[in-house]
Amino acid sequence: MNVLDLVRRSRKLKLFLFIGIPLLYLFIFFFIPFLIALLYSLGMFKQVVYQYIFVPRVSLDYYAGLFKYPGILKLIQRSFYYAVLTTLGTFILSYPIAYYIGVKLDRRYRDTAVLIIFTPFWINFLLRVYGMRFILHEAGLVNTFLRLLGFVSEPIKFLGTDLAVIIVMIYSYMIFMVLPLYGVLEKLDVELLEAAATLGATPLKTFLRVTLPLSIPGILAGSLLVFIPALGEFVIPELVGGPNTATLGTIIYSLFLRVRGVTGWGIGSAAALIYITMIVVASYIYMRFVGGEVVLG
Amino acid sequence: MSYAVELVNISKSFGSVRAVSNVSLSIRKNEFFSLLGPSGCGKTTTLRIIAGLEEPDTGVVKLDGRDVTYVPTHKRNIGMVFQTLALFPHMDVYDNIAFGLRMRNYSEADIRRRVREMLDIVRLSGLEHRRIHQLSGGQRQRVALARALIVQPAVLLLDEPLGALDLKIRQHMMVELKRVQREVGTTFIYVTHDQTEAMVMSDRIAVMKDGVIQQVGEPYDIYMHPRNRFVATFIGDAINLVEGDYASPGVVKTSLGDINVPSINEYVGKKVVFAIRPEKILIGGEVSSDLDNVFVGRISLTIFRGAFIEYRVYVDNMEFVIFKPHVGVSYLLLKPGDMVKIGWRREDGILMPE
Repeated sequence: MNVLDLVRRSRKLKLFLFIGIPLLYLFIFFFIPFLIALLYSLGMFKQVVYQYIFVPRVSLDYYAGLFKYPGILKLIQRSFYYAVLTTLGTFILSYPIAYYIGVKLDRRYRDTAVLIIFTPFWINFLLRVYGMRFILHEAGLVNTFLRLLGFVSEPIKFLGTDLAVIIVMIYSYMIFMVLPLYGVLEKLDVELLEAAATLGATPLKTFLRVTLPLSIPGILAGSLLVFIPALGEFVIPELVGGPNTATLGTIIYSLFLRVRGVTGWGIGSAAALIYITMIVVASYIYMRFVGGEVVLG
Repeated sequence: MSYAVELVNISKSFGSVRAVSNVSLSIRKNEFFSLLGPSGCGKTTTLRIIAGLEEPDTGVVKLDGRDVTYVPTHKRNIGMVFQTLALFPHMDVYDNIAFGLRMRNYSEADIRRRVREMLDIVRLSGLEHRRIHQLSGGQRQRVALARALIVQPAVLLLDEPLGALDLKIRQHMMVELKRVQREVGTTFIYVTHDQTEAMVMSDRIAVMKDGVIQQVGEPYDIYMHPRNRFVATFIGDAINLVEGDYASPGVVKTSLGDINVPSINEYVGKKVVFAIRPEKILIGGEVSSDLDNVFVGRISLTIFRGAFIEYRVYVDNMEFVIFKPHVGVSYLLLKPGDMVKIGWRREDGILMPE
């Protein structure tokens, strides 16, 4: 009996190969590092980088250290501010697009339309964000247009402001909102809309009473897909923002890569854990609030 | 008199396909009217044009005498039961039924009273807080019906609503639909490809084929006096057709010999199709020598169909289908291979243009 026969015969072995390998993968690359970060944040590691010396005591010093960090609450607040506006912005811009492709557009052209939506993603994220610097620059595309159209005489200074960060974040995250919305709207039974019309519903009421409630699973998925990474975003504020656009992500980044050392990693881990906790809590509240019956009941 | 629905010269094409071709219909108030035809005959498109879900290329749609050709669906005061039912999956039975009233801004107290009344009519009381996916097929049917009827539409449009149900429930729902229609006194326009449904429920039927109306009439009329070969074969379980020449008044010359038929002058000298329904043919001992038409044939098949026996009898190369109720047992004595006389009365024959 060789190994292949053994695999063929054993259900447990098949199950292990089927879900065991993906689980193992996640265990090594997610769970263990997560555990290490947790232990770090609790001060249970003494050394840094390749020399893990376990210390059997729990200390909240790094958490305290984080909250002594100047302006930390302001940073957390700003992270939320960006993430919420990004989620709202992507939703408002994505819904009409997803509705058009998923409901109105002829079925034959839908795949092509989705592919076209994807085109910006053929280019690397960093390059795209960097490109936005040129577009938003005082001598860039947007300002040139505004000046030619006579809206402004002095160029608007976008770079370094909240506005620039939010514009670029909405642009970068939009696809994560469009796709789940398209997913639910594409499955929407058009006869339901017709039925509403035969019952006397105006197009607006049909939208509010039928289309929108039936898109909730997509809205939920899309906003979580946008909100969660947006809350930890640090590259965009770094590249198009300035000293006044630092976020929680910026701090975590600089603690690990600029401050470094036991303290940097310890406080960084504490910040990362606080970030994760906030996401879990915020997502849960959000799903209770918006999803209600649709998802949980 | 103003009609509930009038269609005047309605045509509609999808690309190069002419779905509805010059259809004109006048549907009376409180009538149960069926549009009957095979799939793709344009019956659903016609219904959707009445609902305003499709715009006709040419022609006029009138509801209660008012031209509504370009009035959007939500302003037409119609009700519609869709083939897929199209119940709102995110609402319970009560909210589905109340939807139309809410769109018309009724007070919640009023809505509660009316929904309760309607639940009573469609016999769904007690299920108001069920979700749609918790209902059986027949119950969903009733919710769809109640939802459409509660707004007291000028006309209720039904698009093959019984298609998805089992035979038994379908038979039951046919009677229910007829009962509800009487009870609420609304005009029903019913689209179906099932001639039994149309026959059972309708006051009048329009038979359609290739976007064209073939015949409009009461079920009896369409069954007994089909105007052409298509209507004759589409209506009823079976029919026997023989082609021939209407040589002289009252006689059709066919390959089987002369067939004596009613005298219709307009057919003289023309090619015609002679038709006789299976239950109109007498067989064996029933055939007396003074019957207008008598032929001799050989039984090829007998099928016990429950309420009647079906015989297949060959006369020359023509196979006749004959239905016989089995009062007594004498008919059971006929066996495949037996030679029998078959015959029918002159006035039971049907003549149609070739």
